[in-house]
Amino acid sequence: MTDVMDPLAAEIHGPSPRQLLKARALSHKGLIFGMVVVLLLVLVAILAPVLAPHDPYAQSLMTRMVPPVFMGGSWEHPLGTDHLGRDYLSRLIYGARVSLMIGAIAALISGVIGTAMGVAAGYFGGKVDAVVTFLINVRLAMPVVLVALAVVAILGGSLTVVICVLGLLLWDRFAVVMRASTLQISRRDYVAAAQVIGASTPRILLTEIMPNVFNNLIVIVTLEMAHAILLEAALSFLGLGVQPPTPSWGLMVSEGKNMMLFEPWLVLIPGAVLFVLVLAINLMGDGLRDVTAPEGRS
Amino acid sequence: MLAQKPTRSTLAAAVLMASVAMPALADKASETLNVAFTKELENVDSYFNSSREGVVLQRAIWDGLIYRNPETNEYVGNLATSWEWIDDTTLEFKLREGVTFHNGEAFNADDVVFTVNFVANEENGVKTQRNVNWMKSAEKIDDYTVRIHLKEKFPAAIEFLSGPVSMYPNEYYAEAGPSGMGLKPVGTGPYKVTEVVPGQHFVLEANGNYHDSPKGQPEIATIDIRTIPDVNTQMAELFSGSLDLIWQVPADQANKLAQMGQFTVANESTMRVGYLQMDAAGRSGEDNPFTNKLVRQAVNHAINRQELVDALLQGSSKVVYTPCFPSQFGCVQDVTEYDYDPEKAKALLAEAGYPDGFSIDFYAYRDRQYAEAITSYLNAVGITTNFNMLQYSALREKNMNGEVALSFQTWGSYSINDASAMVSQFFKHGALDSTRDDEVLEWLNVADSSTAPDTRVEYYTKALQKITGEAFWAPMFTYNTNYVFKDEVAYTPTSDEVLRFVDMSWK
Repeated sequence: MTDVMDPLAAEIHGPSPRQLLKARALSHKGLIFGMVVVLLLVLVAILAPVLAPHDPYAQSLMTRMVPPVFMGGSWEHPLGTDHLGRDYLSRLIYGARVSLMIGAIAALISGVIGTAMGVAAGYFGGKVDAVVTFLINVRLAMPVVLVALAVVAILGGSLTVVICVLGLLLWDRFAVVMRASTLQISRRDYVAAAQVIGASTPRILLTEIMPNVFNNLIVIVTLEMAHAILLEAALSFLGLGVQPPTPSWGLMVSEGKNMMLFEPWLVLIPGAVLFVLVLAINLMGDGLRDVTAPEGRS
Repeated sequence: MLAQKPTRSTLAAAVLMASVAMPALADKASETLNVAFTKELENVDSYFNSSREGVVLQRAIWDGLIYRNPETNEYVGNLATSWEWIDDTTLEFKLREGVTFHNGEAFNADDVVFTVNFVANEENGVKTQRNVNWMKSAEKIDDYTVRIHLKEKFPAAIEFLSGPVSMYPNEYYAEAGPSGMGLKPVGTGPYKVTEVVPGQHFVLEANGNYHDSPKGQPEIATIDIRTIPDVNTQMAELFSGSLDLIWQVPADQANKLAQMGQFTVANESTMRVGYLQMDAAGRSGEDNPFTNKLVRQAVNHAINRQELVDALLQGSSKVVYTPCFPSQFGCVQDVTEYDYDPEKAKALLAEAGYPDGFSIDFYAYRDRQYAEAITSYLNAVGITTNFNMLQYSALREKNMNGEVALSFQTWGSYSINDASAMVSQFFKHGALDSTRDDEVLEWLNVADSSTAPDTRVEYYTKALQKITGEAFWAPMFTYNTNYVFKDEVAYTPTSDEVLRFVDMSWK
């Protein structure tokens, strides 16, 4: 901080890279919007028991499909009730937990697998690279939705199964991007320098390579998280994902589908929330890419 | 406010529909009645499908020897003019003269002999063997007299001959076989088929030469049946005018349609009973909780049957406590009834050694909404359910292997008005029997084979009282079905869940 005191030094050094990053981040509207929405939904998910006005499982068949406040309902159920008389807002709030949890854990699992494969391929090259590239091609040749449907149909739908299936299927993009970035980084002089001074391979990977590919990793994490959330909703919509009575947004759309003509809000509300979450995560990912890789911008 | 709610949403729906409205293709002027089927029909040949849609077409395209009036339940001759029992296993029919098939072939004893001998032969693979396997063979006496020989005594023969057993043209069927018959059906019925596009639509045309049948004469010239799996699409087409009649409409949608005032909504009960099956015999594991009577009683007390009927099934559905449909012969209602009492259910569970409840796999194959509501009642008393929705055939197989501890099942008794069609189906130690009670088996054997009505009632009563007293099942409700059609269509549905085109007309 003494540097800042000295006007001469400040002139020479300019703002630090960290300060530049912060300034760019704050001026990026998409990133700010995405972060705020995602943070908000994460908070909602964590605080679900406090925020939810009702028990999301409490059924009341006598008050089924009460419309939301803005369609003539009452504040007792601000977003109305579903086909079994359960409070829609409460189910939506608890549904955020399911969606975010699946998104986060699936992205984590696939992130670990994909990064390990990608970095290994990029750093070691040769046979390791050939094997990893082959595995990536095999994986890319399998349509994700089809494989997920088949596996879930065989094993039966549950939260754990869905998370595992998605986690084991979505690593391809991690592997591709990590391999390319590692390939680039491992030719840099500082990596060569580390090798020359006799640093061990794990040390080089962890302290020289990883910090420099981390930015790319974050972007892929957000993309795959959004991808996993959408896939979970699709599987649940088809009745193969999270099983009732667990609240899940995809399941809510599926349950409201039959009454779509007369009570469109049953589908619109969970659909809209799902849309906003996925949009926010994608905007956040795009923003992070823009901010961390300014040379990518024209 | 309350009155405004439906109007608002219905209005929204109407506006939505108006925006996608197609030119009206079907109406009284075009003489074509457009009908939707939800399920695809595997084969129009009525002996080679087992679906409700198949029954509907069978009644329109073919005739049986006998006809049962769906309102009076009286048997009258159709392709036969009279019949008599020669002995316990032989029926003799006098056939109607002057009847011709749609392709011009004349109807006579040869057709009956051929049809009966073909379907009764198990090798020919008739889909629902139960419908035909009581017949041994048929014998021609003269051109218009024929005898059907039964394998053994079978009091329901007349019922089956008036239902699923219809007469096929011998020359044509010998040549075309089931697949040819499925694509170009030929019968004697009130409607002839002019077009079959599997998975898309069937076109029926009134049979101008229809004989003087108790079914009556067809009034609507053309009927176009399309397969539309999605209920929302069906309703959209009903709004836009390209459909005139839809059926099997869920209660919620039917109510909304009724409020719109442009359609006739008719509700009829069906014989289908919804129940929870519990593994009392311990086939899914000796230690499964349902081997304990207290647990089974707790389940019975946990479910609010009245609320299910009032809020979900609606219409002419009723609460039931018997493992059979109340109108069935022998289905006495003097049985143990379990009122809705979640506190008592919890107390019973505690007494049974499950003070904190337990966790169990729950299976269902249809009506997800009902199944969810039921599991929610169970969850409320401490029985945690792992929800599994399976296809009917998959669940049936699992059930036969004794892998199912708790499931939501339904049974329609093939619309046969006798308790044996349900109780005896499930409590006589068959593969689907989850109880295996020897006393019940013994009583049902007496009740099923006796010819004296009093004895039958006496033994059914014994069996039903034990089944309900021991809470082997948790019977819950009967089903109903909704028919929705344009106001210009005149039709009164019957309680046997069969659409009868011949009874429909334009107003």
